[in-house]
Amino acid sequence: MDTNEIYSEIPMRTWRWLGVNEIKTPANIGDDIKKQEITVEAGQSDELVLEHRNGGQHETVVHVGAGAKLHLVLAQLVPTDAPNSSYTSRVTVDVADGGAFSYTGAELGGSTIASELTVNLTGKESTADVWSLYFGDGARLLDLNYIIRQAGKKTDANMQVRGTLMGTSTKNFRGTLDFLEGAKGSVGRENEEVMLLDEGVRNRSVPIMLSHEDDVDGHHAVAVGRMDEAKLFYLMSRGLDLEEAKSLVVEASLRPVIDRIPDAKLREEIDSYLKGRLANG
Amino acid sequence: MAKKKTFVEDIERTLYDIKDADNSAYKSESGLTEDIIRDISARKHDPQWMLEFRLKSLETYNKIGLPTWGPSLADLDMDKIVTYVQPDAKMTGNWKDVPEDIKDTFDRLGIPEAEQTSLGGVGAQYDSEVVYHSIQEDMVKQGVIYTDMETAIREHEDIVKEYFMKLVPPKDHKFAALHGAVWSGGSFVYVPAGVQVKMPLQSYFRLNAAGAGQFEHTLIIVEPGASLHFIEGCSAPKYNVTNLHAGCVELYVKEGARLRYSTIENWSRNMMNLNTKRALVEKDGIIEWVSGSFGSHVSCLYPCSILHGERARCEFTGVTFASKGQDLDTGASVILTAPDTSANINTRTISKAGGKATYRSAVKVTKNARRAKCSVNCESLMLDNESRSDTLPVMDIEGADADVGHEAKIGRISDEAVFYLTCRGIDEDEARAMIVRGFVEPIAKELPLEYAVEMNNLVNIELEGTMG
Repeated sequence: MDTNEIYSEIPMRTWRWLGVNEIKTPANIGDDIKKQEITVEAGQSDELVLEHRNGGQHETVVHVGAGAKLHLVLAQLVPTDAPNSSYTSRVTVDVADGGAFSYTGAELGGSTIASELTVNLTGKESTADVWSLYFGDGARLLDLNYIIRQAGKKTDANMQVRGTLMGTSTKNFRGTLDFLEGAKGSVGRENEEVMLLDEGVRNRSVPIMLSHEDDVDGHHAVAVGRMDEAKLFYLMSRGLDLEEAKSLVVEASLRPVIDRIPDAKLREEIDSYLKGRLANG
Repeated sequence: MAKKKTFVEDIERTLYDIKDADNSAYKSESGLTEDIIRDISARKHDPQWMLEFRLKSLETYNKIGLPTWGPSLADLDMDKIVTYVQPDAKMTGNWKDVPEDIKDTFDRLGIPEAEQTSLGGVGAQYDSEVVYHSIQEDMVKQGVIYTDMETAIREHEDIVKEYFMKLVPPKDHKFAALHGAVWSGGSFVYVPAGVQVKMPLQSYFRLNAAGAGQFEHTLIIVEPGASLHFIEGCSAPKYNVTNLHAGCVELYVKEGARLRYSTIENWSRNMMNLNTKRALVEKDGIIEWVSGSFGSHVSCLYPCSILHGERARCEFTGVTFASKGQDLDTGASVILTAPDTSANINTRTISKAGGKATYRSAVKVTKNARRAKCSVNCESLMLDNESRSDTLPVMDIEGADADVGHEAKIGRISDEAVFYLTCRGIDEDEARAMIVRGFVEPIAKELPLEYAVEMNNLVNIELEGTMG
């Protein structure tokens, strides 16, 4: 695969001057792609935890058969100071009739990361329930592109993304709900909540909704802002110092995603990773 | 009530579609060359600096490519566009002196009547030149200037030179450069400090000639503490060849000033509407945009507000209705660059009969914009599944102090709502029309009464036949 074409175009290009149309492939990432294919046969149910702890390129192809269920967890914990800390990931998912794809993502490490998730709800009454968190600190660059295409009738898509940015980190998040013609009776929801902790951060959010079908119900929302001072005040009035209070507020905002991870050890690792990063930030 | 069975092709748009015979006094050659620019400039008696500006803009135009995003502009062939059409009429302040056919056109559009009842001043442009301009005497006494751009260059050259295309420089994009090269007509408004203009001013732009372009320039300066409501209307009859509108609007809202800029655009469906509008708002200033886009074949229209001074505010209210053969790409952009600035964007889009409506917005918050706030709300209604409705907002936020929210939804008229209304004796067509009117009501209520009525009429016209 030509690395130049890897990452990552949004389905509809928009303002040139805001630089959100494509992700630049991280430099010196190499041509080697770690590939993985996951298939859940019709009627089967599975849960899979992938831990990406090394940089480089990753590609995951997922097939969810008719009536099958899959919960895929992808935790990206690439050390930010490793020699090869640039990271890319492309996950492509097809969901057949009545299939249910559930995704929990955690974009935590890497120096320059580009991550794409494309879910094609091709089957009738197929569903996608996508929850993801990202955390940016230092001078890290995060570029995320999530797309759910709803082609089948009565499909249901839910995309919930939570993020925290600190230091001088930069993040792009492009989230697309695409209702194709024929997706009658489909429902889609997309929500991104971003907490900005430091003056040096830069956040770009591009919540796209495309529709070629009238019989759909689509919603998207984005909320970007600083930490709620009322929450901090409440916590500090109960004896927490400022850093502890901040840490608790960040943790609470990411908790709905972390709690979906079935592996308790991984959850603890993520908790302690976040605490450490927040304390050093 | 009998069910209406009008097909979309049969839509009655007589009011807008009546063509006058082409009695123009002069037409430039089609296409875009240095000779044409020099010819336009000479005919308009431009000062030397303006001729140089036009030629530099042409140079820029030739260097810049077409946008790599947005609707297809494949139907636009600049070699076939006539950029300057001089009507056989001189600018006057008396409707009696306007040639009969041109006056009849503006009569049909209700401009002289509105002037008598609800406007403080009127400008009427026909093809490339303004043919009528007036302003109430008491406003003149207050120092308000409202005139065509050509007169403004002659009589207020220093002011024009200071502001002209400074906010929308020709290098901004290809059609800004085109505008800089061939602009003609438009309005100039200057409101002195502290003056409250109580009645709105209106400029109406009518393009009659087939295969022509209209490139009017609107420059409005509202000095500190002053206020103004400016209304812009535009229409054209339909031809089988492509027409082009690449106007430019530059609005300067000074400290503590307030400007409301309302537009009802109803170009014919052979029009490429590639218009650029931008406002610079200083400390405590307020810009309010009210924008209705109903016509044209292709539209790219994203009024931009630069909130440059502390506590500057922007309110944007827009409605777009895309029907058969239309690709209307509209929205807004706001750049918040100063502390405590705030913006509120509220839009509705409707698409039907294969029309494509795209809402596109940009919210940019710079580091300096401490405690900036921005709220965006966008709702899209699809009346059938031949149509397309897309929402493409971008938020670019620097610093930790901003508070930005975006919310959008997309869907169709709910069957429950139609059922509720039909249970109460309202027939289905009317029920759907009521729901659509309710959907655009937040926008309609921001318009002056006559325009709200016009917008409702447009919505009604568009809906006929969709459920027949």
